[in-house]
Order: sequence, then structure tokens, then C-alpha cells
Amino acid sequence: MIADLRSGAAPAEISGDVCVVGTGPAGITLALELARKGKTVVLLEGGGPIYEEESQDLYRGAVTGHDHIDVANSRLRQFGGTSGHWTGLCAPLDPLDFEKRADMPTHGWPVTREELNPFYARAQDYLDLGPFKYELADWSAVLPHKALPLDPAKVFTDVYQESPPTRFAEKFYDRIANEPRIQCWMHASLTDVTLQDGSDVVRSITARTLDGRQTTVKAKTYVIACGGLENARILLNCRKQRPAGLGNERDLVGRYYTDHMTIETTTVMFNEGVDTSLYATDMEAAGTKLLIGLKLNPDLIKSMGLNNNSAFLVPQYDKEVYNDDFRDYGWIAFSTMLKTFSRGHVPDRFAERYCDMTDDLGQVATGVYRHAVRSFMPPVQPARVYKLRQDAEQSPNPDSRVTLITDKDPLGLNRIALDWRVTSDDLLKLRRTHQVIGAAIGAAGLGRMRLGIGEKPDLELAYSAYHHMGTTRMHDDPKQGVVDRDCRVHSVANLYMAGSSTFTTGGCANPTLTVVTLAIRLAEHLAVAA
Amino acid sequence: MGKFTRRALLGSVGVVAIGALAYGGSRVACRYVPRNHPDFFSLIDVPDAPVVRRIGALALDRAGGAGGLDALAAALAERPLIREALATDCPTTRKGLVQDACAADFAEERTVVVDGWVLSETEAALCAGRALSA
Repeated sequence: MIADLRSGAAPAEISGDVCVVGTGPAGITLALELARKGKTVVLLEGGGPIYEEESQDLYRGAVTGHDHIDVANSRLRQFGGTSGHWTGLCAPLDPLDFEKRADMPTHGWPVTREELNPFYARAQDYLDLGPFKYELADWSAVLPHKALPLDPAKVFTDVYQESPPTRFAEKFYDRIANEPRIQCWMHASLTDVTLQDGSDVVRSITARTLDGRQTTVKAKTYVIACGGLENARILLNCRKQRPAGLGNERDLVGRYYTDHMTIETTTVMFNEGVDTSLYATDMEAAGTKLLIGLKLNPDLIKSMGLNNNSAFLVPQYDKEVYNDDFRDYGWIAFSTMLKTFSRGHVPDRFAERYCDMTDDLGQVATGVYRHAVRSFMPPVQPARVYKLRQDAEQSPNPDSRVTLITDKDPLGLNRIALDWRVTSDDLLKLRRTHQVIGAAIGAAGLGRMRLGIGEKPDLELAYSAYHHMGTTRMHDDPKQGVVDRDCRVHSVANLYMAGSSTFTTGGCANPTLTVVTLAIRLAEHLAVAA
Repeated sequence: MGKFTRRALLGSVGVVAIGALAYGGSRVACRYVPRNHPDFFSLIDVPDAPVVRRIGALALDRAGGAGGLDALAAALAERPLIREALATDCPTTRKGLVQDACAADFAEERTVVVDGWVLSETEAALCAGRALSA
């Protein structure tokens, strides 16, 4: 069932086995999995079925740290959450990402990659991906090209898969609507969590609409699945019974914010005749779209004290017509609208996309022209010069954080300030990573590399990948994490967090696959515990 | 000022002629004398291009200056593959040996970063040699 809290049809009190707040990839996966296990679920969505300015405005906040980031529009407050505009790149976190590291005392998850593998395999279907295979050896028999012959003790070829990308609203709306065990309420924003007097057990939560309607939800278990920024904001705002905020007794909620540093720099010039076709952006094998990159051997990452990174090759052509530097917001909006119209649908957020396109009309025209030229005049020679593009990992940093500011939203909740820290150390680690790749390419006699990150790094190179992670990090020790290995808030008996806020560290894989994986795992746990 | 006599003129011409003969003869003779200081950087085919000299000059700056061309050549000649390259007449073989020397540098982490370029120590030294010999 899907209903709207604004309709006035909601009872004063709604109940179920589990209350899930948020309908992004984590919330919807969790609700469906729990329903499959026979649990009744109250699913709350703060926005509506489609984009609404009024709802989205609740996400507005301040950026006080590194400013190549945004908190208002990088996420979506609507049914389906931020899956409404993600790009679809997927890979599991590496075993290395979960390990404790001597050189980074705050590194290391309380779970291992091996423990997550069965859940990763199940998450593939939610995201319309191929089989759970992410090693080159899994694909080499069906790939049409060979990998670069690099020394695997230093650099190896890494495989990502591409989701269409799955829009959770489109894919799961009907299933949620028709699932008798799920009651989903739109425009129901969580505004308060109430603990039973003198205990650490949640008694109820309050959900409100912007026009003042309100309901109370009672469940055995509560899960907040509102994204990496909002999860922290909600906990920090619940100060009625816990003055520092729920779960924030040790001042950890909002800390360890991490993102992937999107950086396109460092140039590789390959010798004539070197075949780089495998690393093209349109690779497909056995019906699965792949993106192939270069990654450092994990033993080397540890011994050199580096962060994890996958570098993808972006071809650079002398003739501008073959370059893709027109791909800005305007082009993305234009191509999305074109694809959606061609399927006979009207694009969601039409007005927003139309205006993005109009603002960037020059880039759109350039893109259309270049695509037209390429269709009858493909490049005579494959590119030999490439830039490395990556979403690079950052080291865990407690000073990188989300805090509350005095400004309040219309529901009375304090807005956030995001102090994202990008450090020289993060960039120097990436520079050293590139150096290793450059040396491996040189050792194989394939070409040479020119580093794009200097010895005194320019922090302006780093842009947010809009992968908000780490603000309620998972750790066995309550002094180092907000949630335990089951994603339960350490200091609250029946409150769980879902999504990328629970990531202990960010690795370099795009987070959505792991978000869905952890949601399936949490559902298994709650099916027994709730 | 004294008068320049015919005898003095003939004497001067003779001295110059003998000098020229000695110099010319020496140049010819020296072609047949095994050299301890071959034209190192020509032998291993590093192009004498402005970009090479620029990278070479930067490599020298980075290294705080080297001990001069001779010292650089001597250091390079200690590397087995470069020594082998110097001993061969075939340009293709020479090129292959120099490339192998560079690859070995990369594999053994003997790299330097010059103007952002990740170079093998060998190729950086060869560029430096070009800069010094310019």
C-alpha cells in the first residue's frame, strides 16, 4: 500500500513490526526483504512520488569545508531517493577495505568482505547487474580485448559493472504498492524519535507533513535509511531526551564524513600500437556493461600506506570533436530527456532538466554536433593519450564532519553544515598511486605518464563524487563507531541505521551496491531479531 | 714600429702551415685511435631536440647539477645494458637495449619525476647529457 500523509487518511497511530524511514535503495530493499520474510513494515518517505521543490528544500544546508560539493541537490528527497539520479557504476568494496591497517588506526570494518559476499550476490538483481563477478579472470574468456600486460604484483586490471542505472521509484513503486505487508506513507518526514522513559528503547517516532499533519509510528524496531547526510542530521536533531543527540554520547555522529574525490588528472601517453580497447567506456560482455580500470595490488597499497583507488582511462584526442568535455549538467539533462522521451515517457523533474539544458545550451549544441560528426567520421586512429579519472578514497578523518547549524527547516529541524575535509595527504597518496601505475606502464614498455598532482597538491583538483559516507560509522567499539556490526546504534536497543552513513571507510567503489548489500544483510538480521 | 721583412713573413707562414699540418694530421690519425670517451650521447641515439634538452636541464636542476658530462657518461656506462648498447653498431639493437634499460629502471623503482613526467633514471640521465652537451 502506498498512501499520502497529507490526505488526512492516516490514523493517529500507525504500527508494524519494523518502521523504515527513507525510500532510497537502502529503505526499499530493506522493506521488500523484510516483507518477504513475513514482517509488516511501515515505510516512510519525506518527499512525494516525484520531485517537489518544497520537499527538496528541506535538504538545504551550508558547506563550510572544501567547497566542491553540494548538500541540497546532490541527493533527492522523493520516492526512490537518490537512485533517481545516480549514474549506475557498481563494484563491491575490496577485501582490503574491510581490514584493519597498522598505518591507519581508525581503518577497518567489523565485518569482512567474505561475510558480505552472499549479500553482494543478492544485491546484483536489485540493481539489474550481471553475475556477481568482479575479477578480470571471471570475464576474460568473453571479453573481446586483452588487458594491458602490467606486472600484477604492482598494478592489475579491475572490473566494474554498470547498472542501467536502476531507478528504484520506477522499478519498485508497483511492488511496494501491491505488497500487503508494506504500508508506505509519502510526505511523512521523521521529526522526532521518542525513547521509553528511563530506557534506551525507542517507543515511537513522529512523522509530519509540511502542512502540519502528524502521525505516530510504533514498531518493535526502527531503521533510519535517509542517506549519509540526513541520517546524521536526524540523530543530531533528536535532543529531547539525549541532549547531544541520539547515539551521539561520544560525539561521533556526523564525524568521519568521507566522500570519493573525483579527480581527472595525470596523463598517460601510450606507445603506438598499444591496445587499450578493453578500457573503453562502452565495453560489454555477455550482456553486462562493464567499465575496466587499473588498480594497485592491495599488498602494495598496505606496504606503501596508500588509499584504495581505481583509475579509468579517458581518451584525449587532438581533434576536439572526439573529446567529451561537453558533458556538463546541461548535456546530462538533455541526454536523459532524449532517452526518456524515446521510450515514450515524460522525464521526471522535467522543469529542472529543461532549465539545466537551457542554461548550458552551448555545451548541448557542441555535444550534438560532435556526436553527429563522429557518426560519419569516426576517429582514424585510436587515442594514445589518456587522462586518469577516479573516485579516489580518502583516509578516515574525524574532523571531516556534519554538524547542525542554527538555521531551521520548516519542520523545525536544524539544518546541517558539511565540513568536508580534503587533505594534501589524500592527494599525495593518490600521486604516489599514479607514480606506481606510471612505473608499471614504463616497465612494460607501453608508454609514459605525466603526473597531474604536484608535490604541493592543489586541493582544487578534488570534486565530490556525491558519495556521502561514514557519518554513523560501523565499529565494534562504541568509542570509535556509532553503530555496531549489525548496524544497530550502540546506545539504543532497537534503532538501526541503513545506508552509506554506516560505512567505516569509503574504499573506492561506488557505494550503491554496498548500500543494497548491507540492507539485505540487515533485513536478515531483523527478520530474526525484530 | 719595425719593418716586417720577407724572412719574417715566410717564417710565420711556415709556422702556421706546420701547425695546420700537425693539427690536420693529428685529426686524421686520431680517427684510428681507440677512444676512451666516445661521443656517448650520439651513440645511443637520444635526439638532440629542444624538449629533450629542456627535460635534461630540469633533471639536472632536480639533481642539484651533476658532475659534468664525463661523470654522467661514466655513470651511465656502468649499467650493463647501456654498456652493451655502446658496443653495438646496429641502431635498432641499441634502441632496444636502451629501452630495456629504462624498463628495468621502472621495474626496480629507479624512477625520477621531472616536470611531472615519471621517467626512468636512465632516460633522465640521457636527457641531462643532451642538455650538458648542447
